[in-house]
Amino acid sequence: MTGLQWGRLSNDAFNVALFSYIAAMVGYFAHMAFRRTPFWAFARAVAVVGVFANVVCVVTRGLAAHRVPWGNMYEYSVLLALLVVAGYLLIVEGYFRVRTLGGFALMFAVFTMAIAVSFLYVGPGPLVPALNSYWIKIHVVAAISGSSLFALGGGVLTTLFLVQDRRERRQVAILRAQQPPPIMGGSVGVDAPPDFVADADEPSSSGASRRGMLPSAAALDRMAYRVIAFAFPVWTFAVIAGAIWAQRAWGRYWGWDPKETWSFVTWVIYAGYLHARSTSGWRGRPAAVIALIGFVSLLITYYAVNLWIVGLHSYKGF
Amino acid sequence: MSSSSRITLSRSTAMVWRTLRSMRTALILLLMLAIASVVGSLVPQWPNSPERVIRFQIDHPFVGAFYGRAGLFDVYGSWWFVLITTLLLVSLVACLVPRTRAAVKTLRQRPVQAREIDAFRLYEERVVPADPGRVIDGSRRVLRRRMFRVTRDGEGGSALAAEKGALREIGSLCFHWAFLLLVVGVIYGKGTGFTGRAVLVEGKTWIDAQANYDGQLRTGRFFNGNFTGVGIHLRGFEDTYRRSGQPMDFVSHVDLLDPQGNVVRSADIRVNTPASIDGVEFFQYGFGWAPVVEIRREGALIASEPITFVQDTAPEGVPQLAMPWHGIVKLPSLHPQVGLTLELWPDSRAWLRLRTSGEPVAMTQEFQPLMFFKVFRGDLTEPSSTSLDTNVMRKAGQGVVGAGQTVDLRTGGVVADGGSGLTISFPELRQYSVLQVSRDRGVPLVLLAAILVLLGLLPALYTSRRKIWVRAEPNGNGTVLKVGGFALQRKPQFDEEFSKLVDAMARAAGGVSAVGERERVNSG
Repeated sequence: MTGLQWGRLSNDAFNVALFSYIAAMVGYFAHMAFRRTPFWAFARAVAVVGVFANVVCVVTRGLAAHRVPWGNMYEYSVLLALLVVAGYLLIVEGYFRVRTLGGFALMFAVFTMAIAVSFLYVGPGPLVPALNSYWIKIHVVAAISGSSLFALGGGVLTTLFLVQDRRERRQVAILRAQQPPPIMGGSVGVDAPPDFVADADEPSSSGASRRGMLPSAAALDRMAYRVIAFAFPVWTFAVIAGAIWAQRAWGRYWGWDPKETWSFVTWVIYAGYLHARSTSGWRGRPAAVIALIGFVSLLITYYAVNLWIVGLHSYKGF
Repeated sequence: MSSSSRITLSRSTAMVWRTLRSMRTALILLLMLAIASVVGSLVPQWPNSPERVIRFQIDHPFVGAFYGRAGLFDVYGSWWFVLITTLLLVSLVACLVPRTRAAVKTLRQRPVQAREIDAFRLYEERVVPADPGRVIDGSRRVLRRRMFRVTRDGEGGSALAAEKGALREIGSLCFHWAFLLLVVGVIYGKGTGFTGRAVLVEGKTWIDAQANYDGQLRTGRFFNGNFTGVGIHLRGFEDTYRRSGQPMDFVSHVDLLDPQGNVVRSADIRVNTPASIDGVEFFQYGFGWAPVVEIRREGALIASEPITFVQDTAPEGVPQLAMPWHGIVKLPSLHPQVGLTLELWPDSRAWLRLRTSGEPVAMTQEFQPLMFFKVFRGDLTEPSSTSLDTNVMRKAGQGVVGAGQTVDLRTGGVVADGGSGLTISFPELRQYSVLQVSRDRGVPLVLLAAILVLLGLLPALYTSRRKIWVRAEPNGNGTVLKVGGFALQRKPQFDEEFSKLVDAMARAAGGVSAVGERERVNSG
């Protein structure tokens, strides 16, 4: 096949992947709402189809351009979506055996791909000389793996932890209010109406049951920690590999270019998270808030620096 | 000084030290470092892009003045950034010294026996048909094989204490100490090194000496002022493009010379492929056109040099290579003095296309180059070789000269041979290459530190410290094997490891008898 045909195949595969992810996202949310296993089975099957289409999209893109398929923002986004969904399926569903979080992971992938195709698309082509180095293979693979893991742990799982933690705290508060105070002989709890719990927790009962399916806050916290602890060395390696590449390309390993600065900021924030989690008084919510700030920093590192902040990594077009 | 004030002083010193050591302080300092870095990425920075700083100061004079005073145009060199970093490093050392001491002590100590092993989170008992001595021997073998450090004591050696996972603390210490090494490497390398730019026209040689650097030369604070004297000769420069105008490759073919001027070796310098000699590294940075311009008066050559031309920044939507190139010639020996402004179109088809259809075309190769010139007479007031102040001069002619032609400066007409008066010739169009030249002796140290950071990080995150105690008590003609243990980290994984270990110990002692097996997992 010619490069043009490979390119067309890549774009078709992109569409299949995107629509599969959308369908899978809807399926996962339906599973959360109605608690019917067939929804989950459907969603996971479609997500797997999406992953395969996504792999085809990436590989054919590489064949069309005769190089590694992560040379610009569009390709990088497609690969990021692939790794987030594959990471979710392998780590969260495969390893942690949790089925309910798929909608959130897929939502991230759908947004990433939608932004990629709407604003960042460029046809397959060769690399500019600055990107033409074997370090692109090492640095970019590490950066993209680290980002997808941070997105999963610091973004998706941490947000869910905060939601679930809030809910559990409220339940505890309500249970406390219902229990008779030891001295007063228990006149408070008797007066509470029977449907008090549901009303206070959520305005609609469907919402309550939907969130009731989430894993416990403690479990979510542990999952988020382990994913981030996995992502952190990968990200560290990506920053080091980037510095080595910068030394070869620009004659200095570190020059406070916006991309370098923001990847450092993201690194510092997650280093703070890891320390906070082993410090009493910072565990739980404060640490989770740090992880969430880290996720925002990651998004800025990824999007804002390439598109809006002027620097050596502003290769939007190429 | 009274004794009470001395007590207050020592007390407050202790308090400062305690505050610095606390994790809270370290966390806050880390977050402050992150915020400071963010500021540096949003405000234009002088070392990265001075032209953007100047534009910002012109556009926002009031805010600009404030930013300038607060050091916001050079965040990473400002006193407060250095202060945050220093405090962070002091806090790091304050935290690391006692931790390192404690770690060394733990490593030297043999694992200590516990008094009541059934109070631990994990505890199991097995009855095995063997005498206590053999049970303990077998258990010790099992633990040793799994890299536990084991001590044996108790009555008749019937008790074991085992420990594993000191690597976690060692890794964590390695990670943190490596940071100090990194900072030392950065300060040493940047402090003793330098970075600047060399402009080389094809066929010319450049020597590493202070005067030969183009524009700003940045030297470190501890730079001893000795340049190496090594040389670099540019044999040729090549820039290649695809049909779309996208650049494909930039190569400088060079010879590297030792301080005596002998060719040491040849090299091709590309983007991503530097060359180095004597610790001085050369990186491909930029390129441009350098036409050879000859000026004659009454047929006698008075100036003959390749002149490095520069481009204006292209407006939005116009390819950079579609812009013409500009250069200056100064003739200070004439009376009155003469200055020329030159405009080069390396590909004359692009000029023609712009004139006829208004369409800018990128000039990616040489094709019948054209040079437009304007002649000015008067005093040459600007000392710079790249700019000409024409306000104090009088225009005295203009014209165009093609490659290989000679043109009369006054009339603008082509001269067949020799000619009289002032003439300009354009015999040859060459290219020049801009190389970044730098020396940083700290690079190997920084790389080593980065590797140590990564190596330390892995055990610090993924291993855990765990302790196990074993007792063997005689029970009829068999033995009760009692095992207790706990892990400081990764507790769920240890639960699994623990029960496997107990199975292995029981097996090593000759299997488990069917009766009397008891298992308990204490909560908490």
